[in-house]
Amino acid sequence: MKKPPGEEPEDALTVTPPKKWAAGVPAVVHALEYSLEETSPRRAGVTLLTMNQVGGIDCPGCAWADPSPGHRHRNEYCENGAKHINDEATTRRITGDFFRGHTVSELGRRSDMWLNSQGRLTEPMVKRPGSDNYEPISWNDAIGLLAAELTSLGSPDEAVFYTSGRVSNEAAFVLQLFARALGTNNLPDCSNMCHESSGFALYETLGTGKGTVSLHDLHHADLIFLVGQNPGSNHPRQLSALEQAKLNGARIIAVNPLPEAGLLRFKDPQKARGVIGHGIRIADRFLHIRPGGDLALFQGLNRLLLEAEDARPGKVLDHDFISSNTSGFEEFSEHVRAISWEDVLTATGLTRKEIEQVRDEVLRSERVIVCWAMGVTQHKHGVPTVREIVNFLMLRGNLGRAGAGACPVRGHSNVQGDRTMGVWEQMPDSFLDALQQEFGFDPPRAHGLDSVNSIKAMREGRIKLFLGVAGNFVRAAPDSAVTEDAMRKCRLTAHISTKLNRSHTVCGRTALILPTLGRTERDIQSGGEQFVTVENSMSEVHTSRGRLQPASKLLLSEVAILCRLARRTLNGTADIPWEKFEADYGAIRDRISRIVPGLYDFNRRVARPGGIRLPNPVNEGVFPTPSGKALFTRNAWEMPHIPEGHLLLQTLRSHDQWNTVPYTSNDRYRGIHGNRRVVLVNPADLSELGLAEGQRVDLVGVWADNGKRRAEDFQVVAYPTARGSAAAYYPETQVLVPLDSVAEISNQPTSKGIVVRLEPAAPRPSTSA
Amino acid sequence: MNTIEEMIEVAVPVRTAYNQWTQFKSFPRFMAVVKRVEQVGPSVTAWVIGLGPVHREFEAEIVEQEPDSHLAWRSLERHPSHRGEVSFRPTAAGGTAVTVRMQVEPRSVAGVPTNVPRVVGRVVRFELGHFKEFIEGLGQEGGGWRGTIHNGHVRPAEPQPPRSRVPCWPVG
Repeated sequence: MKKPPGEEPEDALTVTPPKKWAAGVPAVVHALEYSLEETSPRRAGVTLLTMNQVGGIDCPGCAWADPSPGHRHRNEYCENGAKHINDEATTRRITGDFFRGHTVSELGRRSDMWLNSQGRLTEPMVKRPGSDNYEPISWNDAIGLLAAELTSLGSPDEAVFYTSGRVSNEAAFVLQLFARALGTNNLPDCSNMCHESSGFALYETLGTGKGTVSLHDLHHADLIFLVGQNPGSNHPRQLSALEQAKLNGARIIAVNPLPEAGLLRFKDPQKARGVIGHGIRIADRFLHIRPGGDLALFQGLNRLLLEAEDARPGKVLDHDFISSNTSGFEEFSEHVRAISWEDVLTATGLTRKEIEQVRDEVLRSERVIVCWAMGVTQHKHGVPTVREIVNFLMLRGNLGRAGAGACPVRGHSNVQGDRTMGVWEQMPDSFLDALQQEFGFDPPRAHGLDSVNSIKAMREGRIKLFLGVAGNFVRAAPDSAVTEDAMRKCRLTAHISTKLNRSHTVCGRTALILPTLGRTERDIQSGGEQFVTVENSMSEVHTSRGRLQPASKLLLSEVAILCRLARRTLNGTADIPWEKFEADYGAIRDRISRIVPGLYDFNRRVARPGGIRLPNPVNEGVFPTPSGKALFTRNAWEMPHIPEGHLLLQTLRSHDQWNTVPYTSNDRYRGIHGNRRVVLVNPADLSELGLAEGQRVDLVGVWADNGKRRAEDFQVVAYPTARGSAAAYYPETQVLVPLDSVAEISNQPTSKGIVVRLEPAAPRPSTSA
Repeated sequence: MNTIEEMIEVAVPVRTAYNQWTQFKSFPRFMAVVKRVEQVGPSVTAWVIGLGPVHREFEAEIVEQEPDSHLAWRSLERHPSHRGEVSFRPTAAGGTAVTVRMQVEPRSVAGVPTNVPRVVGRVVRFELGHFKEFIEGLGQEGGGWRGTIHNGHVRPAEPQPPRSRVPCWPVG
C-alpha cells in the first residue's frame, strides 16, 4: 500500500509559455509517472492494456467513442484517461483509523487534491449528529439508518438522488426505479450542469436529445467546427479522430476564447510523426471569440449563407432538405436577415472578414460537422446557441447524412447512458407508463428537481435527505457557499463513493459514506462475475468489465448498495426483485430491454464486440418532433452587461484534472505550474485595468442579488484570452457562479459567463515565526 | 475517373431483384470478393472486400435511392475513390435488367499506372453473375428496404421505422 501525502503541496507559481501542441511523448511520460505513483506496475499494466478494449474496462473519464473492434490501438487511451483510471486503481487506502485522526472540520479545510490523494475508501462510515468525526458503521446498520430516514420522511419528495456520469447503466436504472417506486422524480444529475442546454435544444429542434454523428462521420467530414471545447485536455482521444479526418482531407475551424494547445496541433504518441515529427495541425482557422459570442457567430454566418443564396439562387441552400424535412424557415430567414452586424462583431470580437472567410469554407464543403462542449452550453443563451447551430447545419442539409451532423461532446463516460436509463427529473409519460406496466406500481408524474432546484429546495428546508451516487456534488454545483449551506441543512447526507472528496465534509446532521467498487475492479455477486454497460457520446452501448481485485473485500457495488437500500426501504411494497437484480445484473438488463426503446434483446446484443449502436432517428429520416419536422428557430441573445473595469470570467479545467479532482497543481499546456489559484487575463486588459502580472487579486462576482461572492487570493497571469474575458480554474471559482445565473430553458449554471472584477488581495499573513 | 458498365438479366421481377439488392449484409453469402458488410445506417455501409492477396475496407454512402428503380453510391474515402449506380429495369420477358455503372479512380503504384478499372469491371461482371445465380435460385428476396434516399437524406417508407424507436428525451 502506497503512503498518501501528509501535507498540502507547495503553492509557488511558475509560468512558462503556453504549449502549441498537445500529447506526444510528454503525454506518455506524464501518464506513466502518475500511474506508477498511484499503483503498482502490474496493476497499471492491467488497467491500461484492457482499457477501452473489447471486453475490457471502459475508461471512466470522458464519453468519447471507441473505434470499431479490430481498429483499436493496443494502447487505446489518453494521458488523462490513464491518470483517471489509475487514480481509481491506487493502492492507497482510507480506513477507520484515518477518520479518527482527522475531524470533519479539519477535512473541510483540506484541498480537493489532498482529499483525493488519500486513497480509496474501504469501509462504511457515519457522522452522527453533534459529532465532528466519522466513525465506522456496519453495512447493515448504514443501510438500515438510511432506509429508516427515507421511510420517516413526510413525503418522498423530501429526498433527492443525485448521480454523476460514472454510474453504470445498471446502477442508474436501479436508482431511478428505486426513487420512483419510493414516489419521487427528484433525480438531479451532473448533466444538469454540463450539456443540459444541448439536450433541450436538440430535442426541441430535432426531436431527439442526442448527437447525430459517429466516428465514421467525423473521419469523412469535409469541414469540422470545434466550438467552445478543449479536446487536448478534456477529450484527448477526439484528437485521433480529428487527425484521421485531416488525413482524409478535412479542414477544421476552432472557435474558442483561448487558443488551447489541443486545438492547434496534435502529436500522436503512437505514430512516428507524433514522436519524432511535427504531428498534425488541427485547426486550419482559429476564431478567437469572446465567451458567449458563438450564437452571434452562427447567426452572422447564417445570414451570410442566406445572402450567398440570394446571389446564386439554388446553389447554396439545400432547398430539398429544407422543404421536405423542416418547418419555420421563412420566419428564421426573416429574423436572421435583420440581425445587426455591429452587434455580431461586438458579441464575437471577430471581424466581418473572419466570418466571411468561414462562410467561404462552408461553401466549399459538402459535409460539415459542428462539435461543441461547455463553452457553448454554460451561458445564459446556451440553448439558443445550440438551436442556431442546428439552423446552420440545416441550411445546407448537413443533418441526417454521412459525414455531417451535430456533435455535442460529453465529458463523463456514462452521462448519456444514465439519461437513457431514465435518470432525469422530467421523464416522459411513455417511459413512466412502461415502468408501471413492467413493475406494477404507479410512478409519480409530477416533475422532480434538477440540480439547481435541488439546492434551492435544500436551502429552503424542503429537502431533508440527499443521496449522491458517485461524483462530488458540492464542488460540481454552482455558488459553493450557498450549496454548502444548503447541504448542511439536510437531516442526512449520504454519498456512494470510491474516494474522499469535499462533499463528504459538508454534512447534514447525520452523514454517511458508503464506499463502493470502482469500474476497474472485479464485481462478483451471488450470480457470478458481473459486467456493467455504458453508453458513449455517440450512442454506442457496450460492456465494461473490471479486472483488479477490489480495494477491500467488504466493498459493495453501486448496484448492490442501491438494491439493498431499496429492499430495506420499500420492504416489499413494489413487485421488484431487488435481490435478483443484485445477484445478476443480466436480470436488470432484461427489464431495461422491455422499458427503454431500442435496447431490445439487450443482454445478447451488448455482449457482441463493440456492443449496440443506438440509431439516431435523424439519420433514419425521422424527426420525432410534434410536427414530424425539424424546426428552424429564431434566436435572440443578450450579452451580459460588463461594467467598465470588469471582465467576463469562464471557469475551466486544467490539463492535470478530472472534473472536480485536480491531480497536481500543474496545467502544462497553459504553462501554469505549482499553483491553481491563477486568473488568466489578456495582457491588453491587464494594462487597461492597471494590474501587473503576478499580482495577487481577489475575484469578486457581480450579480443582480449584490451577493458577496469572492474567490480570494489569485495570481494574475497574462494570457491570450479573448479581450474582455478572463479564465480561472474550476472548482475553485464555482463560488462565483450565482445559483440563479442559469441558462434559459435548461436551468444550467452559466459557469462560462460570470461578470467579475479583480480587486487587490489582502496581504498574506507572514509565515515566519 | 474510368467508367465501367456491366449489365445482366435476371429472371425475377424488378421488385424481387431490387429488394434483394437492398440487403447488403447478405452480399457475402453469394458474392466472392465481398467478405463482410456492415449496415451503419440506411445510407451508410462499411465493406470488407478481398481478392487474392488484396484486402480492402471502405465505407460507402448511398446518395440516391428509388425503390424498384435505382440506387447510386459513392465511397466515403477520398483516395482511392469510386462512385456507382445500379439500376433495375423490367424486361419484356418479365425479368429484370440489372445494370451497374461505376466510376473508378485510376491508381498508380510507384508511378506506374495499373489497370484497376479493367480488374474492377471483371469483378463486377463476375459478381453480377453470382447475384443472378442466387436470386434466380431462391426465386424470392430475403428482405427489402423500401425507403428512398435523396442527396444522402433518407426518407423512410413508414412514418416510424423500427430503427427510429429509441430514447429521444433530452440528454444533458
